[in-house]
Amino acid sequence: MLEHRIVKWLFALALLAGLVLLPHVLSFSQREIAVLLVINVLLVVSYRLMTLTGEWSLGHVVIMGVGAYASALFAKRLGVPVPLSMLLGAGLAGLVAGILSFPLFRMKGFYFLIGSFAAGEVIRLIWKFFSYPFGGPKGIKLIPPVPDLGSVAFYEPENYYYLCLVVVGISLFILYRIEHSRIGLTFHAIHWQDKLAESVGVDTFRYRMLAFVLASFFAGLAGALYAHYVGTVNPTRFDVEEMGFVLIWAIVGGTATFYGPILGVVVLTVINEIVLRSLGFDTARPMIYGAILIASVLFLPNGLESLVEKVKAAFSRPKQAKSAQQARESA
Amino acid sequence: MNGPILEVRDLTRAFGGIIAVNNLNFAVKEGSIHGLIGPNGAGKTTTFNVISGFYSPTRGQVIYQGQDVSGMKTAKLAEIGLIRTFQGTTLFKEFSVIDNVRVGCHRSSRASFFSRITGADRAIEAAATERSRELLDFFNMGHLADDPTSTLPHGHQRALGMAVALAADPRIILLDEPFTGMNPEETQRMMDLVRRVRKRGVTVMLVEHDMKAVMGLCDIITVMNFGSLLTEGTPSTVRNDRKVIEAYLGSAIDAA
Amino acid sequence: MTELLLQTVVNAVYAASYMSLIAVGLVLIFGVMGVINFAHGELYMAGAYTVVALYSQMNVPFLAAVAAGLIFVGALGILMEYAFFRPLRDNPLGGLIASIGFLLILQTTAVLGFGVRMAHIKPPTQAKIELMEGVVLTHQRLFVIVAAIALLSALYVFLRKTKFGWAMRACAQDKEAAALQGISLNQITRIAMFIGAGLAGVAGALTAPLVSPTPYMGHSVIVTAFIIIIVGGIGQLEGAVVAAILYAFVHTFVTTFFDGVVADIVGLVLMLVVLVIKPTGLFGAKERA
Repeated sequence: MLEHRIVKWLFALALLAGLVLLPHVLSFSQREIAVLLVINVLLVVSYRLMTLTGEWSLGHVVIMGVGAYASALFAKRLGVPVPLSMLLGAGLAGLVAGILSFPLFRMKGFYFLIGSFAAGEVIRLIWKFFSYPFGGPKGIKLIPPVPDLGSVAFYEPENYYYLCLVVVGISLFILYRIEHSRIGLTFHAIHWQDKLAESVGVDTFRYRMLAFVLASFFAGLAGALYAHYVGTVNPTRFDVEEMGFVLIWAIVGGTATFYGPILGVVVLTVINEIVLRSLGFDTARPMIYGAILIASVLFLPNGLESLVEKVKAAFSRPKQAKSAQQARESA
Repeated sequence: MNGPILEVRDLTRAFGGIIAVNNLNFAVKEGSIHGLIGPNGAGKTTTFNVISGFYSPTRGQVIYQGQDVSGMKTAKLAEIGLIRTFQGTTLFKEFSVIDNVRVGCHRSSRASFFSRITGADRAIEAAATERSRELLDFFNMGHLADDPTSTLPHGHQRALGMAVALAADPRIILLDEPFTGMNPEETQRMMDLVRRVRKRGVTVMLVEHDMKAVMGLCDIITVMNFGSLLTEGTPSTVRNDRKVIEAYLGSAIDAA
Repeated sequence: MTELLLQTVVNAVYAASYMSLIAVGLVLIFGVMGVINFAHGELYMAGAYTVVALYSQMNVPFLAAVAAGLIFVGALGILMEYAFFRPLRDNPLGGLIASIGFLLILQTTAVLGFGVRMAHIKPPTQAKIELMEGVVLTHQRLFVIVAAIALLSALYVFLRKTKFGWAMRACAQDKEAAALQGISLNQITRIAMFIGAGLAGVAGALTAPLVSPTPYMGHSVIVTAFIIIIVGGIGQLEGAVVAAILYAFVHTFVTTFFDGVVADIVGLVLMLVVLVIKPTGLFGAKERA
């Protein structure tokens, strides 16, 4: 077992070193992609937290947009310092989710999917319709950037990358802790047998709402990170196609494990932005993306993570009692 | 001390025009094992579902510990110690055995949101795990704690269902057809478990179709037929009641 | 004011007719396949581009191009059934995701083949009927209305009077029972996909001269279709038609007298209200106890 722990720590250290050194091996435009990738990691991991209770939302990207718009407006119109406006934006995204819980959690499964989509579209159309304060179809431009920290300027992709790495790292830690606490156990319980969970006193509505609010808080934070980096937000940026990408990352990566969706977003972004771009397929990229999506649903129904789990199983022969936990995670 | 812990007063439940339960009255004494039986379609499952908060009554009341709990949701009822189980093997099949029981400990393991993140809930969770192990030992399943639930034999799965319910600290436990689909040996073991549950100070009310199993177990049996109360009494009185025999015979003929 | 009111009614009838075609197709696919086809808007777009290619670029007669649109998009439906809906029959979420993948493929194909810009099509006829002073119905729109009524009537007869139609309805009710009756599930789903996709295709083909197709035109269409099938009750063919008419009138009137975005919001809120109050749709069966 000690050997295992050493391997784990070495792996973590290598990962950390890789992440810290990454910008230095990338071109300028690739660094910009790396920033967005880190933000998208938070987006998709927060999405997975929501799916733990068994409900799949189609409004997650709009909720991200709520965080982006709110943080942008707090900073631009009210002069709130940017780091604080980001937290406020995230909080507002969580609040919106809390309010939406009341109509939406009267629905389940497919109806929830469509309901969340409709609710998201309504929010998006509100941005589109009201020029004040949302800027209409053109959105908000010239969003104040994150202020410099001494001599560190955050308009540099490299520095913003490190900022995102820290914020997203902390967020992932919190999300991980939540899932591995009793709260996460209860989310899973509601997913698999909500009636049984209720019979021992679990208020399923409150827990569904909690999952939605938490997921939305972190999605909103991702949105805020995005807004103050790119400097502009508009309704189209948060439309259902963007939501399609989040779904794709989650499904291709797999949602049974914490790292599955991360794997999905990283692998697909690398394929999309680096491999396909360098091969010169530019307009054809969505098509290849679509083909990958269909192929992965057909041939890798449990996601990329199932491959990793197989490799891990092959390496750790003395399995012992851990099989129980694995059975739960891969179910 | 032996007052009624649970009482049903003039309970009626209709679905559209069909009256499933009609003006039903009975009381469950604290500390007893109380059976609710009846032939198919007698309305006992509906009664069970009304008491456990799945349906609200059309008319009448459900009184628990002197409090009107009619129409209260299942989770709220669990909160005040009225816990139900499910027919068959309704479990968190994707979890390990002990995690099932840990979910059952929901009520006794409250902690603040931030303590979940910081790990300050460690003591509470350790206590929950301890309790879960103790309950599994109580049902002679301690050695299976870390097994995946889906691989448990049928009898163990049924016992695990009881362990989950017990983990929620019931004052009264409602068992939904605990003997259905069991062979005589499993039935015997389950009867033994129910008695031991009562010994822990938990009142037991069970709904059962199979008359034989409940005869040897219950202190009081309420018999329903066509949505109404047919009779009530000790197993020996009920066994010899002509109306009961006719009701069961009648349903047997209908079914044939 | 009366003219404007009547003209809006005419416009709403036109909108209702092509929306019905799209929504009925989506409902049919959902009923038989049990999966929500996210690529439905792109099937509509494919129908429109069939007309762009055949009628506009190769001078095939308009009617022939429309027929080709129906058959071509119907064939796309069969392809979808064969490629992923059938293998993913027990995995509705997977089917939905695969249809998103297919959506991207169709969209990109249109971009590669025709460019991202709007394709303008000269309508086959510029003639119009003046119903009243100031109330106009172009022949092109009239044609869409007539074609929609004819196609939906034909579908109705097919579903009610033929063996296949009966089997298809049985299949939508209960797959296992249908299978027990000796119905070949694969054949049924194939036909349902052909019809469902074909209806979207023909809607696109018919309206192509009126809407200026773009590769991204499917988005607003799928949103509209979702609203209609939810309001009408998922799996309810008649409900879809009624809801399409209802939605077309509400949307057209709000657009004319207020604003297009407000009309979209009203439609979505309508759908949310239906979902909250009666998830089985305004015309759906009552929820079982």
